[in-house]
Amino acid sequence: MGEAVTVQLSGSLAARVRSGSGVNPYLCYQCKKCSTGCPVAPFADVHPAQVMRAVQMGDESMSVDSKFIWLCTGCETCTTRCPLSIDIAAVMDQLRMIAREDSRVRKDMPFARILNINYESFKRWGRLFEGELVLLDLLKRPKAALEYTTLGPKMMAKGKMSLLPGFGDRKQMKKMVRAAERIEELRRAEAKASATGKTPGASGASAAGGSAP
Amino acid sequence: MTELAYYPGCSLHSTAKELDSSFDGSMTKLGIDLTEIPGWECCGNTAGHSTNRLLSTALPANELAKVKDDMKLASVAVPCAACYNRFQIANHEVGDAGVAADVAEVVGRPYGGDVKVLNLVDVYHDEVGLEALRAKVVRPFDGLRVASYYGCLLSRPPKATLAEHPEYPVHMDAVVEAIGCTPVEWDAKTDCCGASLALCEQGVVDELVKAIIANARDRGAEAITCACPLCQINLDSRQIEIKKADPAWIDMPILYLSQMVGRALGVSDKQLGLKKALVDVQGVLACASRSSGAAPTGRSASRE
Repeated sequence: MGEAVTVQLSGSLAARVRSGSGVNPYLCYQCKKCSTGCPVAPFADVHPAQVMRAVQMGDESMSVDSKFIWLCTGCETCTTRCPLSIDIAAVMDQLRMIAREDSRVRKDMPFARILNINYESFKRWGRLFEGELVLLDLLKRPKAALEYTTLGPKMMAKGKMSLLPGFGDRKQMKKMVRAAERIEELRRAEAKASATGKTPGASGASAAGGSAP
Repeated sequence: MTELAYYPGCSLHSTAKELDSSFDGSMTKLGIDLTEIPGWECCGNTAGHSTNRLLSTALPANELAKVKDDMKLASVAVPCAACYNRFQIANHEVGDAGVAADVAEVVGRPYGGDVKVLNLVDVYHDEVGLEALRAKVVRPFDGLRVASYYGCLLSRPPKATLAEHPEYPVHMDAVVEAIGCTPVEWDAKTDCCGASLALCEQGVVDELVKAIIANARDRGAEAITCACPLCQINLDSRQIEIKKADPAWIDMPILYLSQMVGRALGVSDKQLGLKKALVDVQGVLACASRSSGAAPTGRSASRE
């Protein structure tokens, strides 16, 4: 017999996911089609349907803190097959953003840091500089050098890894990044203000209303 | 001569140089003029859409606005499946007035979502057309059995990519058939290869790659063709590591669709970048096509 688990229901996580992604997580009725089609679920701590349920209940440990959100490849199989057309992959993206915002990104998931290096790299050069990505990752994760020893030199020899960055229109890139980050920040502040104004309270279901499709 | 705007994307200038050069070679043979978008920037890739949703829509919208307003062109070829996906999502998302207003503020000008985005398969199948392609074949494949691997980003999510069928698309099969190959029916056509997890979760990627290649082999494929730099690099390079753990592993050659089409059209091996693959692709090509002449026929019964 398993132990009974008491969960404090909270609608605030679902409200945050919804305001950022436009997806209503309460639409999910746990059919688990997303999980059966997910390529990385067998290698993760939880599967997509569990993450969706956790978001509905306000359980951050099984969603924001899960390994799963940093293993998701964004293959969109879940989004494509969901009978309610829930954009589940967008929920995973949103949970990554929430993890960063709340400074609770898992330290044991290197993909989280790789995404950051990647984002900073294309911001800096206007284009992603793959050589820099590998190098900066190695500095933080020297053990990974073992994984690169055979393939790295082979790729270099084939001329598949450039040692110099390519430049996009860096001025326009800088301008767009600044504007997009400012607008997203504003939206988050607005969402926060409206959430505290209404106070979803202890009942998760109260945040489920509105103009859901 | 048809003119298309061209967005290579970051990978085609580094890990997927052979996709760039083979695509270019095939376009020259097919009489399509490619004009690269001036000062093109990164599409934002996975890091973009999992960090800043608005930016991930604005980056491709900025490129599409350049195609429409600056280059005065109606269509853009985007051979990288990952970039193609972001471009199609941008076209879809600006359909929402609120998103379109935010995007216009970020980009500095409005973009209405009306530039046509063509992936590698679309260019050959729709823009060129199968009949026209068949007519230009000078070195047909002699029935080589090929598995067409779509992976994720060419077809999903269908609301944005407008794919013919998100689970079992077949336009790529029709293209390889037009150049003399025999497409095989298989199960892993739209399965995920693990994408950029290959940088840090090699164990996961190796399992996915093994399952995809094993299925293609079980279904009789002699080669896999793909249209995505992430698919190609994972299916090709991970075999080097897989072989170490499994000495009985049989190599599976992985070719970009543009390399196969280019070869059939007579593009030089050098421009096709055949030597860039880690698992040899030249062996299977050498025994799979005649050096000249005749229209493609059915596959040779004597193979194997």
